[in-house]
Amino acid sequence: MVFKEQTQVVSDVWRQELSFQKGECCLVEAASGTGKSSLCSYIYGWRDDYEGTICFDERDIRSLRTNEWVHLRNASLSILFQDLRLFPELTAWDNVELKNKLTHYKTRRQLEHCFECLGIADKRRVPVGKISLGQQQRVAFIRALCQPFDFILLDEPVSHLDEANATAMAALLQEEAAAQGAGVLVTSIGKQLPMNYTKTLHL
Amino acid sequence: MNLLWKLLRQHVSVFQLTGFFLANLVGMTIILFGLQFYVDVAPLFRGGDTVFRKEYLILSKSVSTLGSLFGSKGTFSEKEIRALGQQGFAHGVGRFTSSLYEVSATLGMEGTGLHVGTEMFFESVPDAYVDVETDRWAYKEGSRTIPIVLPRNYLNLYNFGFAQSRGLPRLSEGLLSLLHVGIRISGNGLSDRYEGQIVGFSDRLNTILVPEAFMTWANGHYAPGRKAAPSRLIVEVANPADEDIVQYLQAHAYEVEGDNLDAGRATWFLQILTGIVLAIGILITLLSLYVLLLSICLLLQKNMQKMQNLLLIGYSPFALALPYQALAVGLHLLATLLALGLARLLGSFYDGSLSALFPAWERGEGTLVWLAAGTLFVAVSALNAVIIRRSVARMWHPS
Repeated sequence: MVFKEQTQVVSDVWRQELSFQKGECCLVEAASGTGKSSLCSYIYGWRDDYEGTICFDERDIRSLRTNEWVHLRNASLSILFQDLRLFPELTAWDNVELKNKLTHYKTRRQLEHCFECLGIADKRRVPVGKISLGQQQRVAFIRALCQPFDFILLDEPVSHLDEANATAMAALLQEEAAAQGAGVLVTSIGKQLPMNYTKTLHL
Repeated sequence: MNLLWKLLRQHVSVFQLTGFFLANLVGMTIILFGLQFYVDVAPLFRGGDTVFRKEYLILSKSVSTLGSLFGSKGTFSEKEIRALGQQGFAHGVGRFTSSLYEVSATLGMEGTGLHVGTEMFFESVPDAYVDVETDRWAYKEGSRTIPIVLPRNYLNLYNFGFAQSRGLPRLSEGLLSLLHVGIRISGNGLSDRYEGQIVGFSDRLNTILVPEAFMTWANGHYAPGRKAAPSRLIVEVANPADEDIVQYLQAHAYEVEGDNLDAGRATWFLQILTGIVLAIGILITLLSLYVLLLSICLLLQKNMQKMQNLLLIGYSPFALALPYQALAVGLHLLATLLALGLARLLGSFYDGSLSALFPAWERGEGTLVWLAAGTLFVAVSALNAVIIRRSVARMWHPS
């Protein structure tokens, strides 16, 4: 694990065995620098500099091949990155389209609805580089919804959002997750996405 | 694709791609033009200036100092002639039969008072090997007229050498056929007068020819019991530039008259030259490929962050490599097509002079050039595609 040299680490995650189930809504709380984003990267297959084993349905994810990961990231596993990973030169709409074109999961109308719910309908044609961080966070969130998923990872999704927008996002997420029977894993350093969590872990 | 290309085309350097394109174009043009030139010109050496013309080689044994001293006859034995006839390249072997009797000739033109007398000889080959088309080339036993074919060289030697320097009139072939050549043949205690008639001139046979029918009769009549062993053979071959011929002749120390075998050497030099030109072309093409790959690797490096993000939102390395592969292959295809056109264009510069020099010349088969262009295109494109694919695949993990 990440903190293998630090034998005194007290954590519900590191140096532990745990599992996430579909339908669960789990909050991972931690101070900055304790490995939230690392956890997301490991589960999402972006980094593999950990010790121990992560399994999807018994399958060690280290054994997954590139095309299997590509398939997972289109059909089973979604993520909202902490650093958003948007393309600043593309408009808000094109950023979302870039993903939706891969999956053809959402209709144009559904996407417009999402933009409206999150209060950024007027920013659709604006390059992402020119809108605020809070607005960018919402664009990235909509993009994360543009695919079917069994689990969705949200890495500090509300760090730049006000109460009202956080609530709107939570409502959209809950609706989507319920419809797909998906598991939700949210990380937070204090400010939380207001949802009914079934489990809270302290990193 | 549009959105993706909008992202991926950033940092595409038109300058670098132009560099690749031009270098690739030059390399491919050199390769294809070199090949086309080879294809166009090689038949001139190989098959002579007409495609289906039969080719003949005249063989003799080397005359060496030692051989002369020890009285080596330098004639071909029956066994040697048979062995030669069995070679794959030999379509037919004819013997030169020498006269075994004494011949002297007097040459005169009526009204000019010009009379020249000389000792001389006759030779004959089977009629099929004589390159003079005339119905006068026939001898009937008992006839006092002997048809004679002279080498065209002799006439040229007289016209352009002797007559020129002495201010004598030049003689045409037609005029010469009016000449009366008095011939005296003696042997076996007999001596008879004949009249020689020049019926034509040969480019192929460098000797004073009479019909084989006359030779057979005369040898039997004036030198009965003697057998003429041929010292020269005429061999019909399909391609005098054939390497097998050179090897066989060298192995048996036979010599060839004329420059037919020079064509083999010329072909060899042409091949070496073509090889050098092709090597240069291939080198330039490889360098251009290197420029392209450097350019694309640089591009991938500059777009690394973007591409990693695309991989993270679910794009496959294959999908990301595709636009760059298409760009590389597209440019290469354009360069290949242009190079084909340029090679054709360059070829048209020598078309005129070749046609003037060799009236029967025709442009060579383009198949080899097309094949080379296709092969190069496929090979270079595949190499491109693989390297780009690998570079993209390396971005899969951030480390």
